[in-house]
Amino acid sequence: MLVLEDLNWTILSGENWLLGGNSGNGKTSLGKVIASLLPASGSIKITFNDTSKLPAKVLFVESWYQFKNLEGVANFYYQQRYTSQQAKETLTVKAELAYYAKEHHLNIADVESILNRLDFTSLQNSQLIELSSGEHKKLQLVKALWLKPQVLIIDQPYTGLDLKSRKNLNLLLDEAASAGVTLILISNDDDLPSSINRFATIVDKKLVAVNTKTDLQQFIPLRENKTIPAFLRTSPVYSSQQIAKMENIQISYGEKQVLKNINWEVKAGEKWLLQGHNGSGKSTLLSLINGDHPQSYANTLYLFGNKRGSGESIWDIKQHIGLISPEFHWYFDASATVWESIASGLYDSVGLFRQLPYSKSILVDELVEYFGLTEEKSRLLNTLPLGTQRLVLLARTIIKNPELLILDEPCQGLDKQQTKHFNQLVDELCSNGMTLIYVGHFESQLPNCLEKKIVLENGEVILIEELKTDKAYKQLKDYALNFEPSL
Amino acid sequence: MANYFNTLPLREKLNQLGVCEFMDNAEFADGVNALKGKKIVVVGCGAQGLNQGLNLRDSGLDVSYTLRKEAIEGKRDSWKNATENNFKVGTYEELIPSADVVVNLTPDKQHTAVVNAIMPLMKQGSTLLYSHGFNIVEEGMQIRKDITVIMVAPKCPGSEVRAEYVRGFGVPTLIAVHPENDPEGKGLAQAKAYCVGTGGHRAGVLKSSFVAEVKSDLMGEQTILCGLLQTGSILSFDKMIEKGIDAGYASKLVQYGVEVITEALKHGGVSGMMDRLSNVAKIKAFEVSEELKDIMRPLFQKHQDDIMSGEFSRIMMEDWANGDKNLLAWRAETGETAFEKTPAGDVKIGEQEYFDNYLLMVAFVRAGVELAFETMVEAGIKPESAYYESLHETPLIANTIARKKLFEMNRVISDTAEYGCYLFDQACKPLLADFMKKVDTDLVGKNFNEGKDGSVDNRRLVEINEILRSHQVEVVGVKLRKAMTAMKAIKTA
Repeated sequence: MLVLEDLNWTILSGENWLLGGNSGNGKTSLGKVIASLLPASGSIKITFNDTSKLPAKVLFVESWYQFKNLEGVANFYYQQRYTSQQAKETLTVKAELAYYAKEHHLNIADVESILNRLDFTSLQNSQLIELSSGEHKKLQLVKALWLKPQVLIIDQPYTGLDLKSRKNLNLLLDEAASAGVTLILISNDDDLPSSINRFATIVDKKLVAVNTKTDLQQFIPLRENKTIPAFLRTSPVYSSQQIAKMENIQISYGEKQVLKNINWEVKAGEKWLLQGHNGSGKSTLLSLINGDHPQSYANTLYLFGNKRGSGESIWDIKQHIGLISPEFHWYFDASATVWESIASGLYDSVGLFRQLPYSKSILVDELVEYFGLTEEKSRLLNTLPLGTQRLVLLARTIIKNPELLILDEPCQGLDKQQTKHFNQLVDELCSNGMTLIYVGHFESQLPNCLEKKIVLENGEVILIEELKTDKAYKQLKDYALNFEPSL
Repeated sequence: MANYFNTLPLREKLNQLGVCEFMDNAEFADGVNALKGKKIVVVGCGAQGLNQGLNLRDSGLDVSYTLRKEAIEGKRDSWKNATENNFKVGTYEELIPSADVVVNLTPDKQHTAVVNAIMPLMKQGSTLLYSHGFNIVEEGMQIRKDITVIMVAPKCPGSEVRAEYVRGFGVPTLIAVHPENDPEGKGLAQAKAYCVGTGGHRAGVLKSSFVAEVKSDLMGEQTILCGLLQTGSILSFDKMIEKGIDAGYASKLVQYGVEVITEALKHGGVSGMMDRLSNVAKIKAFEVSEELKDIMRPLFQKHQDDIMSGEFSRIMMEDWANGDKNLLAWRAETGETAFEKTPAGDVKIGEQEYFDNYLLMVAFVRAGVELAFETMVEAGIKPESAYYESLHETPLIANTIARKKLFEMNRVISDTAEYGCYLFDQACKPLLADFMKKVDTDLVGKNFNEGKDGSVDNRRLVEINEILRSHQVEVVGVKLRKAMTAMKAIKTA
């Protein structure tokens, strides 16, 4: 498939570019072409500065970081980091950095300040498998900022980063730029390093330079408003008014305690925002609710009205929930087709292993159509841009019209239009009575329906508060007649 | 203790060897009910123990672990594995007396000692579960008559058993009930429920017997699965070095080649693998593998004979008694081979190149799979069992070689398999000496198609395709693979 055609681009020294625009426009491919990671016809000429001390290299930082185990195989599953196994399968952060230093002839002393500034020092002895998605992102950035290549291309630099890390990252990028690194950031975020002084997008396979970052928005195609499928316009059928109840939850791996004294109750129909900085324990907390954490058996936890460990299977729990998280996307079976991936949400499996009855398969068809994925429905997930893959997995979370929707940074990799539309969809589903737990770092990218907020810090709850009801959502909710969650 | 198989009259031997039934999905409709509320106590918490236990608990069953006192007091890895995942852990005395099902997942070598220690503590009418029948069949362990003895053997490493379960699938599994120990007739129902608890019922279950499992498992692992892959890898590497092929290239071709080649085997059987070659190369691979089959057949037969007569287990148990003297010496020797010591080079080898430049391995795999299958079936083992223990498992073992060469393969497989693998390897290399003298780089190291115009005789090609496709391992394979849907592709570095 032709992604870029007759594309010309000149980057002058002193320029630092933002490459933005709609998801799937070819940004990532262009970055890879410049870094010689993808073949392309035509020519690319990079004039390195011979007098610079920085390595004469182009480094492309992927939006996803694929680490490997000690045998060089990247074959993990997303629940794996919650299980304690004495046989260590991956390197520690420290060993990984030592290996990187050796590979690129770097001085290990130089990385200390970067680790400090990105709050990474305490993770040096953690295994790679134990890191959260935001922490993996930081590790990638640490390496890039340490290497300081003459040309640094970062695909989605802010994915999963909390506000503080994001500010620090921008300062670090500015310092790199003033040291002579030419930056190309592929992103749709608003808070950029001040050194970014050029802006471009790709339209019809060609580069279009614009004057400001706001000018980029005009190129993102507006999405037509569609009515959501009828089967999603009814309230989910609740088996219990109690969705989750945690009493004094403790989770630790060896000496390291990751959740402390957590008390939290989620009732049917509530809409929660869950926040906390990278590594604060958000994903671990959610894994308890989704039946993914082995240590839930030793804690006092009630899910959908039943005490955890009272003879239920994890499949009994998952049937009530639609979940997406960065890890879940990361480990999803990329060799399944779009249609199969969405359908697999009906059975909570990663990949589809059964035949669907007709009554179910028409629901999948409706949702494929609603998400605008009809043309791609037979394509394999791993042949699609990340933003499209993400839409597929979002569709997968709601195919059951579940009682509880767990959206852990659902809009990563989506462009602004897609994010807006998805959040509108969430608002509409919630107005019909769906229960929501939403994780998001950026206030500007949240749905309106959120009513309550819980904040974690270092594994502890530091805040639970009511949020102001959003007017627009209140109106929407008033329209939904049958709100009362039915038992 | 006498070898159990050898105490049986011929009719009964054949009866038990011939137990083999591919089970229908509907047989598992009752889920885990037969074990619901029962106390399941697992002995040992290594890779299989921990991962099976995690699955069973996540299926709503009551699981705890029992370890030897020393392992608990010394806070060994097995103790940490169990306690850190919040399982209850206790000594044999604490947990076995109240257990409804005791699951023995210790290494073969420890079975006699473990079973002797736990049996007196087991309650009346409880169940003892094995995942390998060696102790019952070869060592002739006698289990108290009130105890039900069953086997559930997931045909994958422990980490896969877990990974497949949590994604909503499972791994192919073999189950059996020991005919001498099924006093209440509940053995099969419990084995099926256990299978559901570990997720195996979604990926294809074969009902076998202790005898059929042991005799076919030993045969497969010694010959095609480990022995031949080791011999073929070492000979191929040495040949390339002798002929001046770059050592880094040779090392990479051998290390990853067998995985890529057997990935085709997994999806399309022997003919699927052979179809990856050009027509000229396929004809050549066919001829080479025919020759290999002729040379190696007596060795495959000797292994099967020694397994059937109990001779193999007798000499291996002698080595156990001798502190694993031979095993450790052979393991060290394997670590010293040139292939093992040459790191894979930083060269890119395309997927098709692994077939085109490693025709010799394609021939080895075809010869080995067919020979192992044929020899097992001749010995009274049913084709379905023989398929599992030959063709089905080859890609799984090949995957371990891709990770870290033969060292990794021999580390992952059981000591029993490793011992048999070395026996085979030592006998096979001299047998192939003359054959290897004729082998040149067109078969290994360079593209066989190079300099050939690719034309073939139609009749010859049709004839060869016919022979490949009508082999019994292909006929039974087509049927079984259909049942094992959604097999995950093994990723290659």
